[in-house]
Amino acid sequence: MATHGDGTHKEDLKIVLKDIGQVYHLKKSADGSREFQALKDINLQVRAGEFVALVGPSGCGKSTLLDILAGLTRPSSGAVYIDGKEITGPALDRGIVLQGYALFPWRTVRRNVEFGLEIKKVPKSERRGISDHFIRLVGLEGFEEHYPHELSGGMKQRVAIARALAYDPEVLLMDEPFAAVDAQTRETLQDELLRIWDETKKTIIFVTHSIDEAVFLADRVAIFSSNPGTFREIVEVDLPRPRHNSDIRSSAEFGWVRHRIWELLQSRPSQECREGGNIVVKDAISPSATI
Amino acid sequence: MSNVRIEDGEGIMLERRAVPASLGKTAPGKKEGAGSIFLRRFLAIHDLLLDWYGIILLLVLWQLCPTLGWIDGRFFPPPSTILAEGVKLVLKGELPAHVLVSLQRTLLGLAAATAVGIPLGFVLGGWFPRAARFLDPLLNLLGQINAFSLFPLFVLFFGIGEIAKFCIIFWSCLWPILFTTISGVQGVDPTYVKLARSMGSNGATIFARVLFPGALPSIFTGLRLGATFAFLMLIAAEMIGASTGLGWLVHNSSVNYLIPRLFLAAVTIALLGMTLNHTLVLLERKLVRWRVRNETA
Ligand SMILES: Nc1ncnc2c1ncn2[C@@H]1O[C@H](COP(=O)(O)OP(=O)(O)O)[C@@H](O)[C@H]1O
Ligand SMILES: [Mg+2]
Repeated sequence: MATHGDGTHKEDLKIVLKDIGQVYHLKKSADGSREFQALKDINLQVRAGEFVALVGPSGCGKSTLLDILAGLTRPSSGAVYIDGKEITGPALDRGIVLQGYALFPWRTVRRNVEFGLEIKKVPKSERRGISDHFIRLVGLEGFEEHYPHELSGGMKQRVAIARALAYDPEVLLMDEPFAAVDAQTRETLQDELLRIWDETKKTIIFVTHSIDEAVFLADRVAIFSSNPGTFREIVEVDLPRPRHNSDIRSSAEFGWVRHRIWELLQSRPSQECREGGNIVVKDAISPSATI
Repeated sequence: MSNVRIEDGEGIMLERRAVPASLGKTAPGKKEGAGSIFLRRFLAIHDLLLDWYGIILLLVLWQLCPTLGWIDGRFFPPPSTILAEGVKLVLKGELPAHVLVSLQRTLLGLAAATAVGIPLGFVLGGWFPRAARFLDPLLNLLGQINAFSLFPLFVLFFGIGEIAKFCIIFWSCLWPILFTTISGVQGVDPTYVKLARSMGSNGATIFARVLFPGALPSIFTGLRLGATFAFLMLIAAEMIGASTGLGWLVHNSSVNYLIPRLFLAAVTIALLGMTLNHTLVLLERKLVRWRVRNETA
């Protein structure tokens, strides 16, 4: 497939997606079970430390792909390799951050952040220092003993990020993490995510609905088309780093990349999003792109 | 407490819980007149008593009516007479014995129902959701059967001894505990499980760290419902088939026209029921602090 991994050496590759396909069997009408191809021929190579964004209309299979990467779902065909080894299930080398935060409401901020460390069987004495570090990293010092319901949406998402980072996975999988917060908070979180990415050198796969967000954050943006969900194109984003929301959005290059992605998403509009499985999706993504 | 930051353009904000002015501490460095302090004290006492005014009023009326001869004191003894009767029975050791017997029966049945209901609820709710759905109508039907109406059956099987009474409590507690455990497990947000699974947690870890804490608030509701209801069932059962316990005390007093003792038993039952409920509420607050805080906010 047309990945832009041309110049990269095999050793630098962190994640390799090879011919991923996913078929769901829908038990529905009288004519027995129907098949629904959610993903088809997904190929992608991600370098260590790279930031890749996935955009596409909802229902095109982004979350499904992320679940496969996390090892939560077995793909119907193809395989995922991390550091050259095929993954067989979930493990602590990958961390996930979900749109709905999924913070445990019965745990304080600190104990949420320490959750993965408990699974990893890190002794209690060490856990504290680690959670302190990551709570500071996301700017929540002073809130260690608060419960999630005492925090704003943006703060909850910071906790979720700290929790995913705390057990030190090399890959961070983020599924529309900033979709539920207001626009201003969203920009702050984007800036902070880039800072954290820079400090921690993680490889990040970031699913988003927003073209702006994808262009701002990523090194490369993979554009989905749906039915079956597959990559239409992978666009290289050659904007200089470090990037900050305050200046980069008004630059000409930013506008150009954004427009190109928008065109790609528009090129074969709604007809391909017709009656997919049980969800029918028609929402085209606008260039202003905060949906 | 940790310092409360009110902060930044990102919209970090903490609602400060509204503290009633009468209970709030005076801001440091703020001088107040003697009159104001008196008012504050008064308001503080008023706040504490707020819940009790109704009961106090009732007690006063109750005391006055028979004493002033408005109603017949033989059938409606004033609180002072009941209290005197209470002191007498406590000194004889009779009342504590009955209380203990009733309480012991309740707790034993409750413990057994918990030991069966919670694991069964987790198995049905967590591992066999299909079975739970399939069994739901049946379980609901069984749950609707009043334990008291089964008492003759229990007596038939087990005789009129302790086992029949144990069955009543067990039956009354089991269903609410089972139902709330099932709905508690099924109510746990699947993304919590997904997240725990993504970290490679095994089944036991997910149970202990996600499903159990997630279902606990719901389970407590069932525990509380079951315990208070079972206590009332027990009293009724003791009225027909026992020679000890508070229910028996009510029955025996009424047969023998010992009116103050009858009232004493009734009041003790009410107080004990309240205490039982209250103890469970306190335990719940301690164990599921996060939820209770949320609800009272
Ligand atoms: N477990 C499943 N069974 C059947 N269909 C599914 C299942 N999970 C997802 N799908 C279908 O797969 C498609 C992609 O879903 P998803 O990955 O959630 O899309 P996205 O995250 O891009 O919005 C949707 O049409 C959805 O209905
Ligand atoms: Mg999704």
